Amino acid sequence: QEVDMQAQAEGIKTVFSDPNNFNVKHPLYSPWTLWFDSPATKGRNMPQTPISAFPQTPGPQTPNVAAAQGWMEDIKRVISFDSVEEFWGLYNNIIPPSQLPQKANYYLFKEGIIPAWEDEANKNGGKWSIQLPKDKNRGNVDKMWLFTMLAAIGETFDPSPTLTDGSGSASLITGVIVSTRPQFYRLSIWTRLAPTGADDEATLRERIEGVGKHFKMSVLGYAEGARLAGPLATEVEFLSHKDSEKKGKGKKIVV
Amino acid sequence: TGAKTISAAGAATPGPLATARIIADINTVQYPEGVRSPHPELNQNAKEGKFRYDREFLLQFMSICKEKPAMLPPLDAIGLEPTDQHHMARGGSGR
Repeated sequence: QEVDMQAQAEGIKTVFSDPNNFNVKHPLYSPWTLWFDSPATKGRNMPQTPISAFPQTPGPQTPNVAAAQGWMEDIKRVISFDSVEEFWGLYNNIIPPSQLPQKANYYLFKEGIIPAWEDEANKNGGKWSIQLPKDKNRGNVDKMWLFTMLAAIGETFDPSPTLTDGSGSASLITGVIVSTRPQFYRLSIWTRLAPTGADDEATLRERIEGVGKHFKMSVLGYAEGARLAGPLATEVEFLSHKDSEKKGKGKKIVV
Repeated sequence: TGAKTISAAGAATPGPLATARIIADINTVQYPEGVRSPHPELNQNAKEGKFRYDREFLLQFMSICKEKPAMLPPLDAIGLEPTDQHHMARGGSGR
């Protein structure tokens, strides 16, 4: 057995041992799709991403996806990938957030999930987000976005992605977003579930807060107790999509 | 989700990415000296192909994997260009 493993290991060439002739690649926990929109994509004479192109599971959620059609109209699918090597090939050939036009967004979502509240995977979820003033963060935002993407594709936001949670789904994370606005940047982590305030939800709340803490400290590099709110800036805060629809009337969780 | 999987990886791509196999057991991969393996605790009970990777491990690929994906659409066609040059390059009607 050990000899077999050895033989197998010796036949394996990663991109580190032979960048031009490697024969294995590092699969990601999930395949991902990058989406993009900006004012320049609106009404532009180019092929739209047909709604029929979204992989859909048959069933009652289909009307939800149809309802998202208006929202999705100007959001362009860039590419899908399922290995570490392909992620970097993409990263090294597109522009970072600091060079995007104003009012643009990158959406990096698990393949098969559209970046809309209406998707079955998002409708019961919410998001961690932070808003950062542009002036002070022009030099940080690219690294923050890269680290956000790496935690997403490396599947390290959720410490127990394989735990079942009743819905049978695995990882809490469905996607990550960076948005550029005239005066600030926003980074968001979308989750599949959100605490609703019921008493029996301590475990989910803890898990959601774990994602927020990892985002604040490991990804963004802030100290645990650091207070971040200020002019054009917010704390790292969580809001369910249902509360977001009520225009901020909901309860926020802050880490 | 994802009953049907449409993956860019399945398409014909020039270069080793097109033919490289998926690593089946991340714990048996031997990396050259100076390259760090993923944190072992992330993949203790990993199912085949379901691996988690820490940031330090992932960052090691940045300067090596630079090949433009074969499936990447022309960026000017989707409006994904640096701020100072997003003029309508070709045939854009727009407004």
